[in-house]
Amino acid sequence: MALTLRRAFRSGWRLCGNTFPSPLQTRIGFLFPAVSGHQSISHLTRYVPETSLSRPPWPEVPIIDPMEEVKQHQEVVQKINSSLASREYGRLFAVVHFASRQWKITNEDLILIENHIDADCGDRIRLEKVLLIGGEDFTLIGRPLLSGDLVRVEATVIEKTESSPKVCMRFWRRHRYQRKRIIIQPQTLLRINTVEIAPSLS
Amino acid sequence: MTSRGTPSRFLQSVLQNGVGRYVCQLKRISLIFSKKGQSSLGAREFIEEGVVDFAKKNPGTVVYVSPQSCRIPKIVAEYLNGTVREEAITMKSSQDISALVKKLTEQSGLDIIRIRKPFHTDSPSIQGQWHPFTNRPPSIGPVKPRDGQA
Repeated sequence: MALTLRRAFRSGWRLCGNTFPSPLQTRIGFLFPAVSGHQSISHLTRYVPETSLSRPPWPEVPIIDPMEEVKQHQEVVQKINSSLASREYGRLFAVVHFASRQWKITNEDLILIENHIDADCGDRIRLEKVLLIGGEDFTLIGRPLLSGDLVRVEATVIEKTESSPKVCMRFWRRHRYQRKRIIIQPQTLLRINTVEIAPSLS
Repeated sequence: MTSRGTPSRFLQSVLQNGVGRYVCQLKRISLIFSKKGQSSLGAREFIEEGVVDFAKKNPGTVVYVSPQSCRIPKIVAEYLNGTVREEAITMKSSQDISALVKKLTEQSGLDIIRIRKPFHTDSPSIQGQWHPFTNRPPSIGPVKPRDGQA
């Protein structure tokens, strides 16, 4: 049973792929492959009126030739390399993963981290998990991270304080139940000092 | 529990601290204690053990040690932005006092109130704000009214 079904399915696909009798049929084949597998081939040739649901609403995107794609990629890399070499990218920004969140930072930004950091005030630390870096007209996206040789993001620990007291109150009316808990968390304030990129991109 | 009614501020630093170099914001710290009082036993211990080390380690901070006949020994910390914070150190051990002094040195003297956003930036957008036509390929052509609709 399964074998025959599969054969029917395959032949249906082949019919769709080879002959291209009308664009409508191929569309049906794409949209309802399960239907074409279960039913016989004669059903495929049946006329189906074109409705708003018979094809996706977006225009069909032509597939780019791989050679063309390689060429375009090289062009883009060359362009970015030249702009990096001439240092005409303006201000840089980066997306950095730090303290289990992602921060979008540029030079001279302030970041508040809701925890203690094992560095003294005035220490300069390097943020190594850089997910993305961008200039005015280009963006480099890591998969998932950019390498440490390529980008360099540094920060200074400015301040290590405590948060304002947060009151956690639990109250159950008519039951003489109340609990009050005051939470104060350590906080660390970071100043971003450098967001840099190496002048050569491979 | 919401905290909307509480006072709040945005994230800031004193005079762009840390852009060039870091400056310790604690200007002056004075230890007020009693020579005889039981409650300032820990304060006297801290003065014997830790004050000189602290003063050597922080050359930017002035340390005053003033014995007065007082019941409540306290630390008065003054910051570069003019804030004065008083902390009572009644019945505290010398370790507690040194931890408190360290905490006061690392703070900047800004109010400890709710902070609205955990980040601050002076240049919020570098590539320009996003709108529906950013990254639109020029091959599509300019934006036109749709056909059939006048």
